[in-house]
Amino acid sequence: MSTSFPSLFPGMLLDAASRYAQDHAAVPELPGDPVRELGWTATLVPEEAGGVGGSLADLASIVEGLATHGMHLPVVETCAVVPLLLQAAAPEVGNRWLGAVAEGSAQLAPLIALSAMPEEMALRARHLDIGYELNGFVQGVDVSLPATHWLVPAEVDGEAAIFLVDAERIGVPVARYRTMEGRRGADFALARLTVPQGSCIARGGQARNALAAASDAALLLTAVDTVAALAALTQQTLGHLKERRQFGVALSTFQVLRHRVADMYVKYLGAKGLTIHCFHAHEQKGSDLRRSLRLAKVSLAETARGCAEAAIQMHGGMGLSEEVLATRLAQRLIASEFRYGDRLLHAAHLKASQGDAGPSSLSNLARSAQ
Amino acid sequence: MSIDYAGFRRELEEFARKSCPSEIRAVVAAGQKITKREYQAWQKILNAQGWGAPSWPAEVGGTGWDIRQRLIFEEVMADNDCPPLYHHGLGHIGPVIIRFGTPEQKARFLPRILDGSDWWCQGYSEPGSGSDLASLSTSARLDGGEWVINGQKIWTSHAHEASMIYMLVRTSREAKKQEGISLILVPMDAPGVTVRPIRTIDGWHHLNEVFFEEVRVRADNLVGEVGKGWTCAKYLLERERLPPANVARLELLRRQVVRLVEEAATAARGRRDFSGLHHKLLLCEAEAKGARVMMAQATDDLIHQRALGVQPSAIKMTCADVAQRLTTIALDAVGPEAAHRFLADADPEVPAATWIQNYMFTRARTIAGGTSEVQRNVIANELLGA
Repeated sequence: MSTSFPSLFPGMLLDAASRYAQDHAAVPELPGDPVRELGWTATLVPEEAGGVGGSLADLASIVEGLATHGMHLPVVETCAVVPLLLQAAAPEVGNRWLGAVAEGSAQLAPLIALSAMPEEMALRARHLDIGYELNGFVQGVDVSLPATHWLVPAEVDGEAAIFLVDAERIGVPVARYRTMEGRRGADFALARLTVPQGSCIARGGQARNALAAASDAALLLTAVDTVAALAALTQQTLGHLKERRQFGVALSTFQVLRHRVADMYVKYLGAKGLTIHCFHAHEQKGSDLRRSLRLAKVSLAETARGCAEAAIQMHGGMGLSEEVLATRLAQRLIASEFRYGDRLLHAAHLKASQGDAGPSSLSNLARSAQ
Repeated sequence: MSIDYAGFRRELEEFARKSCPSEIRAVVAAGQKITKREYQAWQKILNAQGWGAPSWPAEVGGTGWDIRQRLIFEEVMADNDCPPLYHHGLGHIGPVIIRFGTPEQKARFLPRILDGSDWWCQGYSEPGSGSDLASLSTSARLDGGEWVINGQKIWTSHAHEASMIYMLVRTSREAKKQEGISLILVPMDAPGVTVRPIRTIDGWHHLNEVFFEEVRVRADNLVGEVGKGWTCAKYLLERERLPPANVARLELLRRQVVRLVEEAATAARGRRDFSGLHHKLLLCEAEAKGARVMMAQATDDLIHQRALGVQPSAIKMTCADVAQRLTTIALDAVGPEAAHRFLADADPEVPAATWIQNYMFTRARTIAGGTSEVQRNVIANELLGA
């Protein structure tokens, strides 16, 4: 069966993440801080700042390995968004923090709603005589792992800015909860929170570009998560159909189920193709990168929802139990639809930027044909 | 020798822009029915350039391109609104003659495919043999050094404009059902061949029934060995499991439908809600991008001689599904304007009416060449065992 589900990003990182996830997926409370202990936060940090100088494809291996076994760790947030935002800072500040992130001596996390792209700023900052004042409400921040500092995007005088604020100053969240797929989320309310001048690490173009790069990376890695979860979900469903017997025969003998799982598989292949297309666009810095990422968001949501529902249905009563991996993968797929902007948000952006159909109108073409 | 694919693409782009007549491109761009007239004119132009048969080896007049070059060829041609290659001669019977034909058969038939003088159709399906093709009963018997054919074929595309038909016939009833089948080439003007058009749901004439009554053809019109026609048919199907045009044409179709929806939305001036169609178009755009990568990966597997597995089935299902959804969007866009003027031939001033026909025509995508249900069986057999 594995030849039907080749890995997207094979290699040692995938194997390591996969092994870790396999060993710990069933552990309700994770010991320690695996993302930092395993050194994954160093992946995207440049070598000159003490990191590995890896690429998004390396992080994608880790994301794939975890998602395949239904393991939740905030890799996108701590290993992609954080270093990409820090790179907006002046080198002497940025490199110091990047080094601390790489060696795990500082635990940085983004104060960004899981449902929003990093570039959509929920907070407002006001410049004071000394320092800044932060205001606003951020809903649904990932708090799976401890943080010593938050990276806080905020709008100042109509332009983007990124603040680095220690966790004590931000304070405790106003609410904590479990997310639908089993992560830990929280809401933060910032009211007239003053921060020192130096906590603003980037403003204007630098901040905007870094937030855009972090948004692209988050969308890309979430797509990888979805494709890996789709592969695992399809394999789990195939296993169930082969093993589960009803009416004296294996479920896999019923053509209606065979066709439904074949449809899942074809959708998975399409989702994988689209994700690879996005990676190529990212590597080549293609002008259609953002459009492709938004299209992937819209399309993968459709695919993920359909496959999640099909898998639950084909698992019958077992599909309703959170103890079953397929069920948890289905939850993960649906939750991922709403990470970094949902399909309706991205569709709205795509529709607003329509008009790539070419200059010639259909009736002109038809007339010239005659 | 490494191939400069980027340079190859540029060369093709320049050729397509310069050499494909604007009146032909306009027909393609508008999504109108492409007839023998456009196919044949374009085939002559390609042949004059030495590109008459992109999938054939150079020694029989082909280009000798590898599969990636063929894929690029199809993409560039679709991007520039050039007609697709006429597949029955170039894609189907041509390669079979190249593989199984005698030197004499190659000399007789291949040049006439290349320059477009012979127009081929395929006689496979019969009234009682559709998906179960091996149960066919049209017969051929040897009589006085000639084959004598009796029986009936159905769903025969282009039979009314073809000069030749390649057909599967039963030459023995004693062997196992696949083993008694032979492949034979028959001129459509042979006495005893009758073509009856089938009125199809799209309003175009492309399908026919073909009747054979004591039709006599030369003994050397049989390709390969007697009773081994199934091997030829399987070779043909294997080769055509990954048609490079499938994905390339999808993007052309999408661009056409995007324009159509824009025009319909402008004309409606807010009286109709197009947001649902816009959303469906986005999904089609995304899935076409995914399909393109699926095709590229399968192409890579072919080049490196790795097993294709179920990739061709998955690609066929995806392309058929997206093509159907696109023409369904077109139907929604033009329906009020065009549904009451179904046949565009009757009123060429309503180009939108063509899209009602295109919608109907595209229903065949999940039926012809192996239904989507058959493809699902193929995939399920691979994943779950037969």
